[in-house]
Amino acid sequence: MSLLTRHTRAVLGALGALLGGSAALAAQDIAIRNATIITIANGDITDANIVVRNGKITAVGRNAAIPAGIRVIDGTGKFVMPGIIDAHSHAALENGINEGSESVTPEVQVQLKNDDPVIYRALAGGVTAANLLHGSANTIGGQSRVIKMRWGMPADSMYFKGAFRIVKFALGENVTRASSDAPAEDRRFPMTRMGVDFTLRYWFTKAKEYDKEWTDYRAAAKTNPNAIPPRRDLRLEALTEILHGDLKVHAHSYRADEILMLIRAADEFGFKIHTFQHVLEGYKVADEIAKHGAMASTFADMWAYKVEAWDAIPYNMALMTERGVVVSVNSDSDERIRRLYQEAGIGVRYGNMPVNEALKMITLNPAKQLGVDKMVGTLEVGKDGDIAVFSAHPFAPQAMVEYTIIDGKVYFDRNQAVTLRKTAAQGAGPGGDR
Amino acid sequence: MIRSRRNIAAALATVLLLPTVAAAQASPGADAAYLIRGGTVVTGTGERLPNTSILVRNGRIAQLGPNITANDAKVIEAKDKFVYPGMIDSYTGIGLQEIGGVQTMTMRSEMGQFNPHLRALVALNVESEILGVTRMNGVTDVLTAPTGGSISGQAALINTAGWTWEDLAVKRAAGIIINLPGGGGGGRGGGGGRGRGGAPTANAAQLAAELDNFMKASQDYNTRRDAGLAKVDLLYESMRPLFKKEVPAIIGANGEQQIRDAVAFGEKWGIRVVLQGGSGAWRVRQMLAQKNIPVILSSIQSAPSGNGAYDEVYSQPGLLAEAGVKFAFSTGNGSNARHVPFHAALAVAYGLAPDAALKALTIWPAEIFGADKDIGSIAQGKLANLFIATGDPLDLRSQITEVLIKGRLVPDDDRHNRLYLKYKARPLPTVTP
Repeated sequence: MSLLTRHTRAVLGALGALLGGSAALAAQDIAIRNATIITIANGDITDANIVVRNGKITAVGRNAAIPAGIRVIDGTGKFVMPGIIDAHSHAALENGINEGSESVTPEVQVQLKNDDPVIYRALAGGVTAANLLHGSANTIGGQSRVIKMRWGMPADSMYFKGAFRIVKFALGENVTRASSDAPAEDRRFPMTRMGVDFTLRYWFTKAKEYDKEWTDYRAAAKTNPNAIPPRRDLRLEALTEILHGDLKVHAHSYRADEILMLIRAADEFGFKIHTFQHVLEGYKVADEIAKHGAMASTFADMWAYKVEAWDAIPYNMALMTERGVVVSVNSDSDERIRRLYQEAGIGVRYGNMPVNEALKMITLNPAKQLGVDKMVGTLEVGKDGDIAVFSAHPFAPQAMVEYTIIDGKVYFDRNQAVTLRKTAAQGAGPGGDR
Repeated sequence: MIRSRRNIAAALATVLLLPTVAAAQASPGADAAYLIRGGTVVTGTGERLPNTSILVRNGRIAQLGPNITANDAKVIEAKDKFVYPGMIDSYTGIGLQEIGGVQTMTMRSEMGQFNPHLRALVALNVESEILGVTRMNGVTDVLTAPTGGSISGQAALINTAGWTWEDLAVKRAAGIIINLPGGGGGGRGGGGGRGRGGAPTANAAQLAAELDNFMKASQDYNTRRDAGLAKVDLLYESMRPLFKKEVPAIIGANGEQQIRDAVAFGEKWGIRVVLQGGSGAWRVRQMLAQKNIPVILSSIQSAPSGNGAYDEVYSQPGLLAEAGVKFAFSTGNGSNARHVPFHAALAVAYGLAPDAALKALTIWPAEIFGADKDIGSIAQGKLANLFIATGDPLDLRSQITEVLIKGRLVPDDDRHNRLYLKYKARPLPTVTP
């Protein structure tokens, strides 16, 4: 909070008191009436209602009855969609995102900084959940936190219960530190893509041995109470969790060669790459990605900022989708997380994706990638009441988020934010004047 | 982009023997006469003209009206579509830099503090792949600017298609880039070469004194040259258009204090000022309107400053327009210049009138850079820099179907479309490794 001014703290504090103070974690009841509801699962329904009770969606449709006594938002002229999910963010993390001392560190996990104002700003862009990943300094980096953006709550109340446990892999320029100015003798193995391939195969060879030692021990322990357990190694233990599929791999990748390399390395050791991150050249090996069963989470349109981003194209989303890959579009940025709906729309402009397919890239598809698609990602009865209310279709130039709701509770309310700002700031924000 | 444009480009490629997808680099298109028939023409200056045709000849708009015929012109059917003036990204490094992470491809910053004599135009790479992808989203013109030092050099206003840098030029010197010591400069996403240049930060007082001395020397030189008392000195000669108000100073300034400093700097030296950056300009919008100071907004795809309201960056354009401040949008860098309409869309969502948004993408920057006789709107006599779309270009669901720059129909053989078509046609792998 040290970066914030007194005025911002006042506004945030007032918001916290209004939004978070009374109900603690209690789920809420809410309804939105007479809106266009973008269900993602069952098309768009005009002039429809949606009802959330005890945090879960209980009704969606033209004739959905709104129980008496619950809060009702008038959705006339508005567009209601599932809360936006960001499959790749480094926001709201405490004290760094890279354990960069060694190239293989799956035993560490990023730590949530729950009072980072980026959470609030993301809410103001309709985001309700995010995958906070370890950085890309390591071939095998640390573990994620998947959160719901429950602004104002204690850190452990923000974790998304039931989400996958996710570990970050990375390939290419970042992990080899290709842009580092350090002299070669001060640098760290691996320095090349060849070295990255070897690093993966070296560690998974060790992990398989370790796994077998424990399997053998457990078998032996059944008949021999004096069997000696292997020495426990937290790093190798995490790697065996990857081998068993308990820890899902999200792999930072750019070029087609390294994507294919990782697929083949995973094939060799019998595990799956769950989701490729960035995957800017995924369109070149989309068939191989689909056949492996991996998903893809990419930028809408980021290219030319470094050599490995030279063949990135905005048609990547459309091409991978056409070849059967489940694609999400992510932010990887405290700025883009505020307007992921625009990023998804790039898929319509470039490659002519159907509008609903493009919207899936920030809802259902990232939900699948984080293992939460049974709970969120569409507006269907039984799912969590995680909802974004827009002033216009999210791909229209007039699109502005008016409400963001998580578990039936309003966490962002545009009118309230503007009102609070005017009273708290006395002219130090838009709306004030000098 | 949609298939119809591809078909048109492919058909024309056959007729005109233009390179198609197989070409190594994107082509600026062929000179020909075109009749854009029967679309709704959105002029960029506030009018929407239904069922209107445009005759394009010798690179310019020869005629505009309901019933135009021209037997020698190739017909581009625009029925049920919209014709817009080409959009302008008002601050980039396109042509000076290609891949950001490669130093030899990032030549925006010269050594030294005072470089008004450096011209961006003559260093532009017309084969930049960024030009090719930028124009295909309807962005037909960009300002490309050097960075670094106290005075970075002369920014050029260019078309995004052309055969040589001369062919690209709309305004060879659209402004001289000045960075007041202690701040401003560069713009978000801009910046100079690694480890060189960049906005001055160290020893701001001394740098400010040096800039003051340089301005004084330039002013004296201008007076003596006018009186025939000085020999030509290329360094100071390049400052004369500033004092004659033929060219504005484009001064990087963010935050209320820097903005006030930049305005005062202009008044002190009697030069025209265009602010670049402009975060927090809404706080002094009445003053800017009163003094007629325009603003090139740095990327509004930006997070607010530490103490800013969440929508501060998005809502500023609406506040400026309301107050009567003329402004333009920019992306700051180049590789995403084609997204400049989506920057404008964010401003529309947070209060900017759609008409004003289009003006800030077209006629306002043309006026700011003194190029409105050539670009910025659809009007007889102007360059035929325009595009055809299925709807509002700010709406992500619209498709841009044809783009004309300097009257040439630009083929869609840009780098990204080449890769798209190549891999869209990739056969399924038949041999399992």
